[in-house]
Amino acid sequence: MVAVAHDADPGAAWEKLFKLSWWPVRIRWGAAPGLLAVVWMAQAAGVVFPAWAFVLVAAFILIGNLGIYWHFSRPDHGQPRSPQKCRQLVGWQAAIDGIAFWALMYLTGGVTGPLVVGVLLPVAFVSMLLPVRAALAFCTALLAVLGITAVAEVYGWLPHQSLCFRGVDIVPFPHPMRTLSSFGFWAGTACLTVGLMGSAVSGLRQQIHAIVRRGQAEAVTRRRLQSIFSMLDVIGSVRDLKRVLETAVAEVTLVMQVKGISVKLLSEDGKLLRYAAAFGLPESMVREKVVEVERSPLNKRVIQGEPFVTGQVTATEMFQFGETLSAAHLQSVLFVPLTLEGRVIGILGAYCEKPDRFDPEEVNFFRLTARLVAIAVENARAYEAVTVMSGERTWFMMKVAHNLRAPLAGMLSILEVVRDGYLGPINDQQSEYLRRLDRRARTMLALVNELMALSRNRQRPDGECAATTELAVLARRVQRTFQDKAAEKRISFRISLSGALPDVRGRLETVEQMLENLVSNAIKYTPAEGSVDVRFSRANGTVRIEVSDTGIGIPASARPMLFTEFFRAENAKATEDIGTGLGLAIVKEIADQLGARIVVESEEGAGTIFVVHLPIAAMPAG
Amino acid sequence: MNTKGFILVVDDDPDIVATSRIILEGNGFEVQTASNGKEALELLSRRKPDLMLLDVMMASDTEGFDLAFKLKEDPEFKDLPIIMLTAFLDRVRTEGPGPFEFILGEQWPVEWLFEKPLDTKKLLAKIEAIFKAKKIVPG
Repeated sequence: MVAVAHDADPGAAWEKLFKLSWWPVRIRWGAAPGLLAVVWMAQAAGVVFPAWAFVLVAAFILIGNLGIYWHFSRPDHGQPRSPQKCRQLVGWQAAIDGIAFWALMYLTGGVTGPLVVGVLLPVAFVSMLLPVRAALAFCTALLAVLGITAVAEVYGWLPHQSLCFRGVDIVPFPHPMRTLSSFGFWAGTACLTVGLMGSAVSGLRQQIHAIVRRGQAEAVTRRRLQSIFSMLDVIGSVRDLKRVLETAVAEVTLVMQVKGISVKLLSEDGKLLRYAAAFGLPESMVREKVVEVERSPLNKRVIQGEPFVTGQVTATEMFQFGETLSAAHLQSVLFVPLTLEGRVIGILGAYCEKPDRFDPEEVNFFRLTARLVAIAVENARAYEAVTVMSGERTWFMMKVAHNLRAPLAGMLSILEVVRDGYLGPINDQQSEYLRRLDRRARTMLALVNELMALSRNRQRPDGECAATTELAVLARRVQRTFQDKAAEKRISFRISLSGALPDVRGRLETVEQMLENLVSNAIKYTPAEGSVDVRFSRANGTVRIEVSDTGIGIPASARPMLFTEFFRAENAKATEDIGTGLGLAIVKEIADQLGARIVVESEEGAGTIFVVHLPIAAMPAG
Repeated sequence: MNTKGFILVVDDDPDIVATSRIILEGNGFEVQTASNGKEALELLSRRKPDLMLLDVMMASDTEGFDLAFKLKEDPEFKDLPIIMLTAFLDRVRTEGPGPFEFILGEQWPVEWLFEKPLDTKKLLAKIEAIFKAKKIVPG
């Protein structure tokens, strides 16, 4: 059950009313001893009256109150207090009080006696807590008894009781006119009390009811808003269609307080509806059930864009699986189309066991929900398509690269045999052209290698960010890889680590490849006698790796394109004809994967500095 | 026959087989070739070579490795030095066995692994070094 705010819960309201009606029970415990005390004091003072009758009245009040206490204080099997129970409690108390006050009034001189005013007490009590009609009925009954008593006394059918003090009757035998006027006055007052209090209380009660209803409506609205937000959240963050739908149906089932929700999606050809997700519905209803649109006039109508709502599932011919619905005791059904840009992609259904469950307001909310679900379906499908496409592209790249490598390797081996003179002497001109051929073939090989590296990075499974790399190892390996090449070109190549550095995020091979590509470029585009430096240092929660060279630099115009696949700056092409334009694309790809940041500074003809900020690896737990 | 040693070359790429033969013979080795694992086993059963050059990917992706592991378990061939060649394990370094361990674990069955296209000078140097270490007497 959905949590509804407490102040809006009718059960809680009745509970409060019950407590309000209960407090007179507690007060009444004091009534009997109080009465006995008064009797004792009156006797001590010398008032003559039938004391035994007062003791009987006190006993009646006590027994009556005990009865009420016993009957109404029993636990109610966890049931909330019902309005009937509250009325019964008030009614019984009013009856006891009415009888007690009538007896006291009769014993102290009747309608013209001092205690006649006491009848107003139960009347007021009843007017406050019972509906006007019930209060009026009670008041009439009480006045009737009062009237009959007065008449009986006047005509002597009932002996006149009175209090006698020092031989004087305090309330003398009633004169008919005095009795009539006294009765008239008190009857009028009682009726006025009922009328005034009743109308005031009923006005208040209506207001309270309105507030409760508003509170309930607000709670529903709040809950619906929350549900819409959580659906939006799922649509935005979860890309798996099944999970998105499962969350949505569970959410909607809860917020609408129905038995279950289903999402049926239309097949490509529009002929079949398949259950894509369901919540709260019996397995037999959902599992592998395929609805043929042609055979289900109802579903067909919904697909044409019309919502369907029924409160009595009897028209079984409308449902292909109508018998399953009745077997599950579902009586109310609401179907709305899942529409996206005017196209129906499926049906959102709500099922409830209660008859006539869905009102127009709920249908509206359900249509809004259907729009959200449709967007979720479309988002998830689009993401799926993009993932498949990008996977296929990567796979294709990998395949092409692989298949190009073998013939290239064969070609280069043959070239080497010929160039090295194993097959006989070659002249200088032949040698020069074979050298050029070798160069072009090696460019191609480098291109293939880098294409493979790029696609491998894209294919790499998750978990890259969980791996860590030790920088000392990384530095040693990069040093070893490039020291010969740098020496060949007479370039000074140094790697320095400042202080003890923490491990960084990413697999060693991945981080190494990124750094290798940067250093390889630096050496490639730095002329002889220049220098290439790699510095590792710590900076603001990252490890800063700086690769600086004294090479040809990067023209400002080339910078925006620097990390684009196959891009090479003009001055780079002029310096070195072997180059693929993939090296920095790979660097960028890896940096993005690891959450690293790259900054480039360069001056054409003076050199380039690449700075990579690599995130420090998370400390292992414990 | 007076050669520096007898080498068996196993590769399904005829160009690699042909060029390896030319280079090795040109450097004074005796060479026999096979284009798959089965042929190689047949040749091995006839005459044990001093060293084997073995391609990784042939009919299956791991045919070369499978053969190398098989030979390591054979008491007669477990001391046969093997140099593996591959065009595909591109992250495997010729400089050191580090990444190779990553792929195969500690029990790698071969002496060295070269990436194709072969660097002739490095290959020859490695063969010389192995022969020297194993004290293989040419002949």
